[in-house]
Amino acid sequence: MEFEFLVDGIAKKVAVAEKNGRFMIKQGDREFEADARRVSDNELVLVVGGRSYDVLIARDKDRKILFMGGREYVFCEPGEEAGRSWTDDHKGPGGGLKIKAPMPGKVIKVLVGEGETVRKNQTLVIVEAMKMENEIKSSIEGSVKKIHVSAGELVDPERLLLELEAKT
Amino acid sequence: MFKKILIANRGEIAVRVIRACREMGISPVAVYSEADRTGLHVALADEAVAIGPAPAAESYLDTDRIVRAVRDTGAEAVHPGYGFLAENADFARRLEKEGIVFIGPRSDALELVGDKVRARQTMEKAGIPVIPGMKSIPSEAAEYAKAARSLGYPVIVKASAGGGGKGMRIVAAEKDLGPALEAGRREAKSAFGDESVYLEKYLEEPRHVEFQVLADNEGRTVHLFERECSIQRRHQKIVEETPSPALDDALRLKMGETAIKAMRAAGYNNAGTVEFLLDKNRNFYFLEVNARLQVEHPVTELVTGVDLVRRQILAAADEPLTLSQEGLRQRGHAIECRIYAEDPAANFLPSPGRILFLREPKGPGVRLDSGIYGGWDVPIYYDPILAKLVVWAEDRELACRRMEAALDEYAVLGIHTTIGFLKDVIRHPEFRAGRTNTAFIPKYFDGWAREENTEEALALALAAAAIDETGLRARPKGSPRTKEETAGPWQTLGRWKMGGAD
Repeated sequence: MEFEFLVDGIAKKVAVAEKNGRFMIKQGDREFEADARRVSDNELVLVVGGRSYDVLIARDKDRKILFMGGREYVFCEPGEEAGRSWTDDHKGPGGGLKIKAPMPGKVIKVLVGEGETVRKNQTLVIVEAMKMENEIKSSIEGSVKKIHVSAGELVDPERLLLELEAKT
Repeated sequence: MFKKILIANRGEIAVRVIRACREMGISPVAVYSEADRTGLHVALADEAVAIGPAPAAESYLDTDRIVRAVRDTGAEAVHPGYGFLAENADFARRLEKEGIVFIGPRSDALELVGDKVRARQTMEKAGIPVIPGMKSIPSEAAEYAKAARSLGYPVIVKASAGGGGKGMRIVAAEKDLGPALEAGRREAKSAFGDESVYLEKYLEEPRHVEFQVLADNEGRTVHLFERECSIQRRHQKIVEETPSPALDDALRLKMGETAIKAMRAAGYNNAGTVEFLLDKNRNFYFLEVNARLQVEHPVTELVTGVDLVRRQILAAADEPLTLSQEGLRQRGHAIECRIYAEDPAANFLPSPGRILFLREPKGPGVRLDSGIYGGWDVPIYYDPILAKLVVWAEDRELACRRMEAALDEYAVLGIHTTIGFLKDVIRHPEFRAGRTNTAFIPKYFDGWAREENTEEALALALAAAAIDETGLRARPKGSPRTKEETAGPWQTLGRWKMGGAD
């Protein structure tokens, strides 16, 4: 069986074949054999070349987060945007820019209006979470195409706050 | 002794106080806002009272609602934890009037140490070294410039009612003084409703060293040695330890005696902390009194063996202090790391959300004061502290190694936390050498990023993710299956696109 995961937006393929509880793994140029045991829904123990790896696994709707040797690995479902950082600006079609909330929180203030021109680094919206105010700034020079939120609203990280249009 | 205590707080500190209550045979009462209905402190208490909507101003900071909860449950005393109402003299006075015991200092002592300028005056009068600065709030603007010149730049603007870095401005030259005063006043006004600001000499790269004090209601006072809390981001501590690598026995003795003198001068009772700044020449200056249980109290508990929360409750119940200064010793070394729901790679941006999976570290010398569990949604409304990981070992180097190992075991999956960042702090050669000061994080960790995973480790993780998808079972045949296991492989697969399958 071959699986594909997105790692930081890059697709990585891994093939596994099981034989009597042992797994033959092919990943890129690497080939190895793993003896795998499931401890629970959230834990696997792999033994590879005599080395033991305790792997914790958490699942989100479109992500798999693995924890191994004190480090985290985030794998996303291919074809989804979920692998991208929350703070990334999402470029829409036609030179527009979709500004999403960087974190879950509450909109404290919307400082611009639709149609208003904005400078680079101008504060557009203030979102508060955990007693900290975060200013969401414009990364471009342009104008406000559409505003999707208002003060007092609770937002998720995926939530679209506003759309900008680049100056032409 | 009290039969029932209401804990006017949430999260890990409420859990800590609940534990102390249990051990003392006292029934703990929790309060919770709408956002904390599923909070760990609610689950662990004997009784839980809903006190209003999610915003703290309408719940945890609402004294009417807290007092009503005390009345309704018949609690005899209130433990305020830290933050929220812990250092609110009006709240303490209100409880005193209503005949409810406030587990903390008397309201007059709380009021005195809460006012920075008055506290400074009191300490100076008692002969305690304070940071050179203005002795009162001047009536004329020109006084500030005059004072700044005689102190010598850099100076720092501070709010009289201050705390948490609010209203603070560092001024390097006279031309920046006017705007800094204005900004400081504005911030102080909005944070504390009091725009009084004053100037102090700004010490460069000092260490933050504080002394834990315990006093009973009769004035018997002891100190439980120091904590060094120099590792700070945004003027907030994230790593604390004791003993401080900067103190020798002579300096420790002198600072400890000064801390006791300071608390006596303030007429202080119950547990409190005297904060000092220690400069490069080992001069120390009184900074402020924290009139509450400190976040970092566990390191003191581990090296002295004294349960501070229990002692707070005993002192509040009018029990005489049974500890003697001569009987107190520091044994070994303790370090605390604060686990915050923040992304250290993105300027410590808050990271609330669902904890998908949690595995907590264990082992000899490892203590975890935690307020979370797997599957819990970390709310957006409150301080981002999740837990405190505290280790004890025979000496500082062993404590550092133990902390590294414990942090490596600690998995909080689904949200960002400070765990990875703290590992790098503990591993840093300057930290290992004990050369810490309050500029440590900005100096060595500006623009910090997670180290990339190696290709080899990534291949292993990918293999594990793929094996996870094959539906490998946990239990031997014949044992009861979980719902997930009952589903056929084609139902559990297919969520991930399989190359060549379509």
